[in-house]
Amino acid sequence: MDTITQTFSRDHSRCDKLFARAEESVAKNKWADASTDVTKFITAMERHFSIEEDILFPAFQERTGQRGGPTRMMRMEHQQMRQVFAELQEYLTQQDRDQYLGLSETLLMLMRQHNAKEEQMLYPMTDKMLNDETPSICKQMDGDKQ
Amino acid sequence: MNTAFLALDQTPPLSVPLRFFLTAPLFGLLASLLLFYDGPQLFISRWSPNTLALTHLVMLGFVTMVMFGALQQLLPILVIAPLPRPTLVSATLHILLTLGTLSLAAGFLISAPWMMRSAIVLLGLAFLGLISVLAYCLIPLKGKNPIVTAMRVAISALAVTAVLGIGLGMLFAYHIVLPFPTVLTDLHLTWGLIGWVGLLIMGIAYQVVPMFQITPHYPTALTPWFIPLIFLCLVFWTPLYILAELNKIPSIIPQILVGFMGLGLSVFAIVTLKLQAQRLRSIPDITLNYWRMGMVCLLLSVVLWLISVLSPVKTLSPMLLVVLFIAGFVLSVIQGMLYKIVPFLVWLHLQNQQLDVLTVIKVVKIPNMKQIIPDKLARRQFWVYVFALGLLIGAVLWPSALSQAAGIVLFCSFLLLTYNLYNAIWLYGTVSRRNAVNKT
Repeated sequence: MDTITQTFSRDHSRCDKLFARAEESVAKNKWADASTDVTKFITAMERHFSIEEDILFPAFQERTGQRGGPTRMMRMEHQQMRQVFAELQEYLTQQDRDQYLGLSETLLMLMRQHNAKEEQMLYPMTDKMLNDETPSICKQMDGDKQ
Repeated sequence: MNTAFLALDQTPPLSVPLRFFLTAPLFGLLASLLLFYDGPQLFISRWSPNTLALTHLVMLGFVTMVMFGALQQLLPILVIAPLPRPTLVSATLHILLTLGTLSLAAGFLISAPWMMRSAIVLLGLAFLGLISVLAYCLIPLKGKNPIVTAMRVAISALAVTAVLGIGLGMLFAYHIVLPFPTVLTDLHLTWGLIGWVGLLIMGIAYQVVPMFQITPHYPTALTPWFIPLIFLCLVFWTPLYILAELNKIPSIIPQILVGFMGLGLSVFAIVTLKLQAQRLRSIPDITLNYWRMGMVCLLLSVVLWLISVLSPVKTLSPMLLVVLFIAGFVLSVIQGMLYKIVPFLVWLHLQNQQLDVLTVIKVVKIPNMKQIIPDKLARRQFWVYVFALGLLIGAVLWPSALSQAAGIVLFCSFLLLTYNLYNAIWLYGTVSRRNAVNKT
């Protein structure tokens, strides 16, 4: 059986791939492709965030009794990334290559740093705390990916 | 576990790493000036005081300076351990390391024992301080995170390097000659270059190479034992090297261990290059250029060492090895990292200022990483550095013809680096003030 760490990290990699593809389309000025790729990337990220925010973090909070702490921090970082997504979409609409690439570079650092914190700390902690819920949570993450 | 929870929000203030990152290129400028001023003299002997001043300006003023800042920045984020009193600690360590390095270089250059004495005290306190702070954070951490292991061994190696360095400094400060000074000097530089700098770079690479370029992770079959193994080679090599120098055992025995360390470093360089070739991002990137150049120079320095051991005639200057390792590998990798870390931190702190005031409509536009340090400027600096490196290598072979030119070009490259980094901070100040105006 897969752990939370394995399942959720795998989804991070899926999002990373979509990120790189979107960035490449923009870099090559292929705006029609870029539009699809950026949407796919942001949809994947939003899906990942919402499974964490709606299912994983509440389960974690329930076990620890902590409302603040790491999950609050992770939610804040999600919010920070959502702001960047909105700005990226603006540049996509304006077909502003340089602005998009400058911001996507920034997003990459933000995203990978966030993922590292989750993969190295939060997920392993969650794996230690949750037992029975793990398969159903993993199933949600592995389930219907657009 | 509760402390770990709290620590997720442990990004230290911007001034903590930046005071180190902004001082480092100034030492690069000083080192280049010394190279220009002294020229060919510096390449004649590794024992001349001016050569020692130059290597310490680079290794302490630039390399260790950046490492101090990076450790204090990375530790809370990557290994999620909080730093105690980050601003006070970093300011104190920064002053000690800066003044200590300056007095050490001056002590060598004008052979003033009192300068050497103050260098011993200042640097001793700087290292003691950093080691204590990091030990305080790292000792309670459980688990086998490879980067935590790397930090632990690198810090231990720093302790050994510092103790040996202080012992050797006694000669210049108090005319106390330790037994076998040349052997101890070799130990000092091997522990410093391989243990402190090399292993720390490897540990940081585990984290940042996949992060910057979206490459696969370093193979997990390798990461848990790889750095500790090289460290153990270094530990066992030490007494064997002393015995060999005393003619108690054949010198081939410690050299086999050096061979293993070389092999380890080569494997690291090859794996890094391979991972980078598998990266998902295809857009050009200065950090990637710097890292690739660094890895190639690391490989070349190992090959060169092997040739010098195997060939019966001593044709190759050990200086070439030092130039390839320090200027080719270490300085390249560090400059590459600065081009990612500095603009990202500037952006992150500006963004966080606005997070504090989420209720206020976002009015001030935050520049992105490529506006904080434009690619064009970073690329220009990279190529000037490549040219400087070429001239430095040339200067080892033809000191009288090329060493001063190498000094000038190296100075230009550090000047451009200084400009790029200070420009980023200037931009930070401007946007930060606008953010503050909006808050009120």
